[in-house]
Amino acid sequence: MSAPIATVLIAGSGLTAWSAAAALKRRAPFLDVTFLAMPPAGDSLSDRIACTLPSLPGFLADLGIGEDDGITRTGAGYRLGTRFSGWAEGLPDYVHAYGGYGHAIGPAAFHLHWVRAARDGRAASFDAYAPAAQLARAGSFVPPSPGTPFADHDYGLTLDLRRQVAMMRAFSLHIGVREVTDPIAGVQVDPHGHVTAIAVQHGAPLTADLYIDATGPAALLRGRIDEAWQSWSEWLPCDRVLLGTQGSGEGAPVLTTVTAHAAGWHWSSGEQVGIAYASAHLSDADAAAMLGRAGAVANAPITIRPGTRPEAWRGNCIAIGDAATQVEPLEWCNLHLALSAIDRLVTMLPDTAMAEVEAADFNRQTLAEAERVRDFLAAHYRTARRPEPMWQAVAQAELPASLAHTLGQFGERGRLPFYEEETFTRDSWAAILLGQGCLPRRIDPLVHGIPAAQVDAAMARMTDTIAAALPHVPAHAQWRAAQMRRLAR
Amino acid sequence: MTKVTNEVVRVVIVGGGTAGWMAGAALTRLLSGQCSVRLIESEAIGVVGVGEATLPHIRSFNDRLGIPEAEFMARTRATFKLGIEFRDWGRIGDSYIHPFGTFGRGTGAIDFHHYWSRLAREEQDLPPLDQLSYACTLAREARFEHPDQSRGGLASTFGYAYQFDALLFAPYLRSLAEEAGAVRTEGMVVDVERDGETGLIRAVVLADGERVEGDLFIDCSGFRSLLLGRTLEEPFEDWSKWLPTDRAVAMPCRTETAVTPYTSAIAMPAGWRWRIPLQHRTGNGYVYASDFISDAEAARALEEAVEGEKLAEPRLLRFKAGRRRRSWVGNCVAIGLASGFLEPLESTSIYLVQQAITALIELFPGREMEASDRDEFNRVIDLEYDRIRDFLILHYHATTRDDSPFWNYVRTMPIPDSLGEKLDLWRRRGRVVKYREGVFLDASWIAVYLGQGIVPGGGDPRADVAGTDDLLHAVDSLRHEIAADVATRPDHRAFLERYCPMVAA
Repeated sequence: MSAPIATVLIAGSGLTAWSAAAALKRRAPFLDVTFLAMPPAGDSLSDRIACTLPSLPGFLADLGIGEDDGITRTGAGYRLGTRFSGWAEGLPDYVHAYGGYGHAIGPAAFHLHWVRAARDGRAASFDAYAPAAQLARAGSFVPPSPGTPFADHDYGLTLDLRRQVAMMRAFSLHIGVREVTDPIAGVQVDPHGHVTAIAVQHGAPLTADLYIDATGPAALLRGRIDEAWQSWSEWLPCDRVLLGTQGSGEGAPVLTTVTAHAAGWHWSSGEQVGIAYASAHLSDADAAAMLGRAGAVANAPITIRPGTRPEAWRGNCIAIGDAATQVEPLEWCNLHLALSAIDRLVTMLPDTAMAEVEAADFNRQTLAEAERVRDFLAAHYRTARRPEPMWQAVAQAELPASLAHTLGQFGERGRLPFYEEETFTRDSWAAILLGQGCLPRRIDPLVHGIPAAQVDAAMARMTDTIAAALPHVPAHAQWRAAQMRRLAR
Repeated sequence: MTKVTNEVVRVVIVGGGTAGWMAGAALTRLLSGQCSVRLIESEAIGVVGVGEATLPHIRSFNDRLGIPEAEFMARTRATFKLGIEFRDWGRIGDSYIHPFGTFGRGTGAIDFHHYWSRLAREEQDLPPLDQLSYACTLAREARFEHPDQSRGGLASTFGYAYQFDALLFAPYLRSLAEEAGAVRTEGMVVDVERDGETGLIRAVVLADGERVEGDLFIDCSGFRSLLLGRTLEEPFEDWSKWLPTDRAVAMPCRTETAVTPYTSAIAMPAGWRWRIPLQHRTGNGYVYASDFISDAEAARALEEAVEGEKLAEPRLLRFKAGRRRRSWVGNCVAIGLASGFLEPLESTSIYLVQQAITALIELFPGREMEASDRDEFNRVIDLEYDRIRDFLILHYHATTRDDSPFWNYVRTMPIPDSLGEKLDLWRRRGRVVKYREGVFLDASWIAVYLGQGIVPGGGDPRADVAGTDDLLHAVDSLRHEIAADVATRPDHRAFLERYCPMVAA
């Protein structure tokens, strides 16, 4: 059998690269991990977006970094979900929360009952039945609390990126990651597409058994092997992101609001604000002016090329983060995809043979995951209701087969078909589709088996239970302050 | 425009037996008021059911239908099943159990098999893998108690299924279905009427001239595939080049040894033999490839092999591995043998029936029969068949047996690429292709790979960190802990006698 790998080199600058370094060294401590520090990549969204999905707290926990160090001391806020505003004209805002929406009644899933009740005019908004969504709307926060209605949600974070990176770097160095700062002069690739060395400007060339490219869209390592790219721009229209900062007295909101505009959407997550847009429909200057009107100072615009490498892993080099997949930050998937790839790599470490069959297995899962994220984001656009040209164009594009299947099944009878490597739960899909007024054509027969009055009563109990429990939950700011006080004691 | 589909769908099930009555009971109970169910069966047509071993999924089916376990077991003379024992598969003399449970404690960040195979590569003195699985040990000791989910210890690391008399299961389900409104008609279908334009089935005509109309026809006619195969002529995808067995001879006998809480699959010169212990008898059968042995020889081999006095003459069944390209065509859904056949090596027949019924209920059509429901149903069923297929082929292919032409064939035959890749990943590094959906997940693949002697050449390097002595010590204490806990559990037969003694015929 081939020898095990002993050395890994990670190139990058931000949270993505440091997360990879920390996880590899922590979970495979026999590896010699070198971090080749690059100048910050301004266009690497997985390093630059402050909002995260619940995968980050889980990732920190797996590293053995507790909430005190990983969340409270880094100044992160908690996030329970996202509020979508202006995506479907004529409909109220809706919340995509990281938790369950209602519960099954008899043999049918909750959302199927909700569709009948809504059609008959007897339902509150879909997110009224999601405890986490109601927590978020109230600006409150508790971690999952068994025995209460707020027991089954997850939470993401709103990061202070500078402090989070500093923590992850300190942690990595503490556990034995070696940091090298020396600009790359060249990447040597042999005829088989394997990286053989990285030449640097000052020191000796760097070599490793395995190279991880977390350098952002430039893909300085992986891009030298091939440039195969699957484009998603037909379905994900935004090709620019402009980030800005604003003074934020109240801190990061527990519910991040994402508001659609004529050529994309914009958001505010406390200090960080941003606008995503299609450059054909909105100029960089106009985008900057929009942010400016909101009182923010804009940075340089970031160009994104929505799509993915079909093979994140080739030979002895693996691209993660924006080097592998680029999507607009809608639903905060950039860092999530990177963390998921890191977790996958830890359980699928190659040996020095770098067997193609193992890379193929990694790529199969990675691509399936990325494509379903694409589908989820594209569903936001496809089912949005706005009159402007950008929105109309994207509504008419021919869909990827998997998304066409999902939307077809949902539109027909509210079914959400299973796909492997799905990031978002069925409730998440239902929250978006129902929130945007995409109602199934048929009521599922399983729903008809339960008398409407019985369903009404069950639904009323759900909202009553949430309403009764809400006043006993602290405001998000209060919860954070209590955590800080506890540490300061 | 949205519309409310609230009309009653007239369902006609052609064929009783396990598939027909499972469908009948599930539809009447779960879609009451949404459909009417008429089931046509003929006493003149035999039922294939031959003493059935099931998978743990059957429990959720029974739960959904509100079937109490002890009553069901008493009525079908059932026993518990903790897994399947495979004897003589990797090589003659081998025996392993594919458990409905894990190896090790099932809690570590690194799969247990990486540690085990690392020690095996180091040629350490290891106990049989069975002794490191709670489910396998409980099975080997012929004991049973329900899993203890409350504390999350070793006694929670397994699931279970049943071994029951299929000829009693169908009547039991029939009584449930009829109670819930299903109407049974005794009769033989002699003709099928189709719409000239759409090709949809309009009615079936019975031997006595009665015409039974319907909106949705469920073909549970078994191997004859009367509606889907004969009438609609849906092509059959033949998998016999990978799964060459095409006959079985079945014969029950008196139970002479322990009532094992597991099914046995014993490899034979031209196939394999099942042993399924029920409360009142043991089911036996020899599944073989007719290219490699004659019917008479197979029957003789079976009679010689069974443990006790035979309770019936050997009965012959013929089949072919594969499936209809689509299970749902037009307004006809085939469930069970009418849709396809995979040999009972891993007890998947009833599972496939159950999955088809579950999918049909989730995708239950209105009278207008939307293509989208059909397409999704067929997508779900394809996935099930394909993944089971690869798993079955593995049993034959992963062998060193060269003692008969049959084993020489299956050992050296070309295999599907999808399985070749899985085997490669396992052989190199002990990697199991991960799926969330599909019946056989990681632990099953690991059980068969290791049980049939394929120890990976490498492993997860994280499993190399611990010292050998520490690991050996951990293995030893795990084995003792399992053995000590299992010893406190009741004998399987004693448990049955207390919990669900069979009802007299």
